[in-house]
Amino acid sequence: MHIMEGFLPWQWCAVWWLVALPCLALGVHQLNKVLSADREALPLLGVTGGFVFILSSLKLPSVTGSCSHPTGTGLSAICFGPWITAVVAAIVLLFQALFLAHGGLSVLGANIVSMGIVGPIAGWGVYRVLRDTPVNMYLTVFLACAFADLFTYFTTSLELALAYPAEVGGIGSSFVVFMGIFALTQVPLAIVEAIVLVLVFKYIVQLRPGILIRLKVFTEGKIVAAVRDA
Amino acid sequence: MMLRRYRFEILAILAILAFAGLFVYTSSILGDAEFAGSDTIGSSQIAKITGTPEEEYRPLVWQWAPPSGEVESGLFALQAAIGGIVVGWFLGYWKGLNKQEME
Repeated sequence: MHIMEGFLPWQWCAVWWLVALPCLALGVHQLNKVLSADREALPLLGVTGGFVFILSSLKLPSVTGSCSHPTGTGLSAICFGPWITAVVAAIVLLFQALFLAHGGLSVLGANIVSMGIVGPIAGWGVYRVLRDTPVNMYLTVFLACAFADLFTYFTTSLELALAYPAEVGGIGSSFVVFMGIFALTQVPLAIVEAIVLVLVFKYIVQLRPGILIRLKVFTEGKIVAAVRDA
Repeated sequence: MMLRRYRFEILAILAILAFAGLFVYTSSILGDAEFAGSDTIGSSQIAKITGTPEEEYRPLVWQWAPPSGEVESGLFALQAAIGGIVVGWFLGYWKGLNKQEME
């Protein structure tokens, strides 16, 4: 999902940086609040954020004959919301921009918007809609994680289409082409990633259900039922 | 009972196996597939749309690049290792905390 350094005109780099910065500021603010309110929030942040580090380093081959990587942001979006997740994603993307030449400092804003902001918002939105319905808790986590992953690539495609409209068909036709490159490759990855993150979520529920209840990640009833079930 | 208890573990293993199987299948029918990164393919698509050759896109901000694929894959492994250590550290911390509370 990285846009490579130099492949986005500076005007668009500026636009996406301007979108990303206030979100990051809000995320840092929320992070301070959550961490000072509950000591057990830090381990949960470590586990969910750690998976962003792990999963976004795995470049996996897919059906289109090209490689892509999962994002791992869904779980963090569910537990902490999209803004804190943006901060976690920004740290990973900065690491990759500085040491791996994946993405770069000028396109970092655009990459934060796709992987750290729009993807997590999509996943978080799915989770918020389903959270208080009778839909199974693990199914909710699965769908949220898959959406967070897919919408990251959806956003990258949109960012590139806006900057590079096709001569014939404009932004729409460019968008379809970039979606073919990014999103299609991503579908099987998103499904596997979401299943793995469901498993991780089950371990968190089993090990430390209290923090999930205190942060109101799911209703106490759902979490207690899941603990009893395990 | 066991099957229900470990349903997500089983599902995860099956999903990973299916994913690997899909890879074996696609790489056998797509004989010339190079499995390049979608980032790279996206960039060549940009070059195609604009008509400007890929080499002419220069970084806007100076960028260090790993000198070889080996160095790059090592640094990727480092990224995964950092994540793995953090995850393992806190899962172990929780486990110890639970044990202490039980006593």
